[in-house]
Amino acid sequence: MLRVEKINASYGEFQALHEVSLEVKSRETAIVVGPNGAGKTTLLRVISGLLKPTSGVIYFDGHRIDDKEPHEIVELGIALVPEGGRLFPHLTVYDNLKIGSFTKRARGRFKKALEEIFELFPILKERRNQLAGSLSGGERQMLAIARSLMSQPKLVMLDELSLGLAPKIVSRVFEFIKEIKSQGYSILMVEQNAKKALELADHAYLLESGRLEFQGGKEDFLKNPYIKKAYLGI
Amino acid sequence: MKLSSSIGKKALALLILICLIMFPAISPSPYVTHIITLIFIWSYISTVWAYMGRFGLVSLGHGAFLGIGAYVTALLFNFFNLSPWIGMLIGASAAALLAAVLGYACFRFGVIGDYFALVTLAVGELTALSIIALRDITGGSLGLTIRNLGNAPLYLQFSNKVYFYYLSLLFLLFALYLWVRIDKSKMQKALKAIGEDEVAASCVGINIIKYKMAITVTSAFLTGIGGVLYAQYITYLNPHTLSGVGVSLAICFKAILGGMFNLWGPTIGTAMIVSLEEYIRVSYGTKFIGISEVAYGIALISLIIFLPKGLYGTLKETKIFRTKGGAYGDDKREAVIL
Amino acid sequence: MLEQLINAAINGILLGGVLALLAFGLNLIFGVVKIIHMAYGQFVMLGFYLIYVLTVQLHVPIILSSLITICAMAVLGILTQLLVIEPLLNAPRLNQLLALAGLIIVFENLAMVIWGADYRGIPLSLPILKFGNVYIRCSYLIAFLGALVTLSLLYLFLHKTYVGLAIRATAQDVEIAKIMGVNSRRIYFVTLAAGGALTGIVAAFFAPIYTVHPHFGSSFTIIAFIIVVLGGMGNLLGGFISAFIVGIVTSVAAVLTTVEVADIITLLIFVLVMLVRPQGLLGVRGAS
Repeated sequence: MLRVEKINASYGEFQALHEVSLEVKSRETAIVVGPNGAGKTTLLRVISGLLKPTSGVIYFDGHRIDDKEPHEIVELGIALVPEGGRLFPHLTVYDNLKIGSFTKRARGRFKKALEEIFELFPILKERRNQLAGSLSGGERQMLAIARSLMSQPKLVMLDELSLGLAPKIVSRVFEFIKEIKSQGYSILMVEQNAKKALELADHAYLLESGRLEFQGGKEDFLKNPYIKKAYLGI
Repeated sequence: MKLSSSIGKKALALLILICLIMFPAISPSPYVTHIITLIFIWSYISTVWAYMGRFGLVSLGHGAFLGIGAYVTALLFNFFNLSPWIGMLIGASAAALLAAVLGYACFRFGVIGDYFALVTLAVGELTALSIIALRDITGGSLGLTIRNLGNAPLYLQFSNKVYFYYLSLLFLLFALYLWVRIDKSKMQKALKAIGEDEVAASCVGINIIKYKMAITVTSAFLTGIGGVLYAQYITYLNPHTLSGVGVSLAICFKAILGGMFNLWGPTIGTAMIVSLEEYIRVSYGTKFIGISEVAYGIALISLIIFLPKGLYGTLKETKIFRTKGGAYGDDKREAVIL
Repeated sequence: MLEQLINAAINGILLGGVLALLAFGLNLIFGVVKIIHMAYGQFVMLGFYLIYVLTVQLHVPIILSSLITICAMAVLGILTQLLVIEPLLNAPRLNQLLALAGLIIVFENLAMVIWGADYRGIPLSLPILKFGNVYIRCSYLIAFLGALVTLSLLYLFLHKTYVGLAIRATAQDVEIAKIMGVNSRRIYFVTLAAGGALTGIVAAFFAPIYTVHPHFGSSFTIIAFIIVVLGGMGNLLGGFISAFIVGIVTSVAAVLTTVEVADIITLLIFVLVMLVRPQGLLGVRGAS
């Protein structure tokens, strides 16, 4: 479904990604773990079109997307839940969800999608007319996920969901991800909290200093001694 | 062609200086000398404007300082026979006082970036409107003519305009010299730090307000002097040419189209723009009133779009002239924060 | 004297309505494209001249002239975005300001070349209504009501349509708007078109009231800036409220002193407010 091949990306003089390649198969959950500043967010920005790679190719669903604009990439079916949610602070919950279905594909289904989202996240229905900025941390994260689902994506990319959230809330949020996974979405998740992320992973990648250092299935990760020590605290 | 040796540079500079000094004698016509005098005067003014500009203090209202300096001095002369040589100190001080009050208020209350620019714009316009409103004293929109004494060096009037050529050149060289001194001083480091990150700078103990005030008051004072210079040269003052939005923006154009961060930038920008103005005026101006201005405006906009670093800045990038130890702010986009 | 003041205050409110349109346009452009349209008043001037040409020289009925002008100004907005603003979206702020200031020079002198320096007016005489000792000009009233209608439509547009939502989202976070599927480039064009159209509307409402000349734009630009900054840059509601305040203040001041002094007072108040409360009387920095 998503194929990233040998991507290089830079911010000015600083090269953030070096020859990164990864793959997310249909209905699969892939996770990217690694320390702060490893380039995980950069990777998602490149895939979503917010940052143009200096070289390399990205394919999604057979289409080449590394040369496309962000709004075209969303239209093709990739949704990004950015780090910290990045909701529109002065828009209501309702409006945030509505802008989520801005694409042509999603617009027709808006009413239905909204119903489904409200079923999945009843708290959002309650707060539909509240400004997004007034929600609690966990609610904001859920709204961010819900908003991304409104675009009827095939692939959902999640950037550091657990950041800044209390452990109990993190568990709640990950429950939702499990639910979404079971509904058949492909997921690409970037996480510092490797332990929690690995619970959901079909395939995992380790990114350090912009380079892919390791990749493999869940078992391979859990067995690797370096990873166990550095990222799983075992 | 690399001009990187220090001695080579100094020799070239000396050569150019000698040429400039000798120029009036070999000038093809008084008109050309006049144009170059204007270039010197406006280069001086845009250079001292850039003192502030390159540290993120973008003033869109320097016309206020020009106008106050010029009008105060001219009025003191016209009414009280005070020599402009002394009068200019009073006029420039008045401009500096306005800058001090305004600057302090802004810096104290954290008015920076866009807001600072708009405040200065308003003050520049306010000055122009005030000058016009006080028409009984200043002559309003019709302007003010300086009492003619013929040749009176002690009163900054010369019947031979060539003296203004040399006087303006002197002022320009002084302004450039002052720039270099500021560049090497503690103030530069402080202002650069402020330009990059005010909060961090203040944490390190840099007295932000003090440095900002220093550069602002200096710039305003020297601009006021520039206003007097221009007024005495033309012997006529008009609120629309010496204050207000038009001239304030014109100064900005000259400074940034040459390259605001470079020592020679404002001078090159001024030379470029004044030449452009004259060329367009000569080729088009006689046909329709205003067509030359339209072409001029379009040229300015195009230059801004295609030469974002100014002429000098762009030339530096293409490595035509390589300088050792780059001039301050090589590839830093000015940090104007909202 | 009191009657004069009341009349001035009422006229100030009525004019405030149209000024609110002006402020709205400036705020919209600033909020979305993050650029200060220095030549906004000159747009109004051009719109005015266009209405003049259509109505007086080509004898087109004024309503049709207005509609044509509104469309033409929208196109001018789009052209401005395409030729001047877009190339400078990533340029330093000063360059953006100066480029748009360059437009002031171009437009004013273009007007000078085409129409000369004389004052041009549209000979349209509308009745004056009398309520007791208060005189209200029909032209002012129509302008006021028209402005309110326009603002209501704009509100509905921004809050009830997808495009309006996209505009609001772009103003708050352009990157995230993009990954929602919003073509930000297109939104910028829509914004500039709307801003341009608004100047056409303002010109249409002011046509029976003012006469135009090439430097007509400057006073509008300045007053529009004052309103926008007082209300908080980018703050649409703030701009709306401060438009009326400024309208009243300038009208009343003009009665108490002279128009010239009133302008100076207004500018002075502006500077003072900027120093004391730069985010505007109502603004929160960055609110939209």
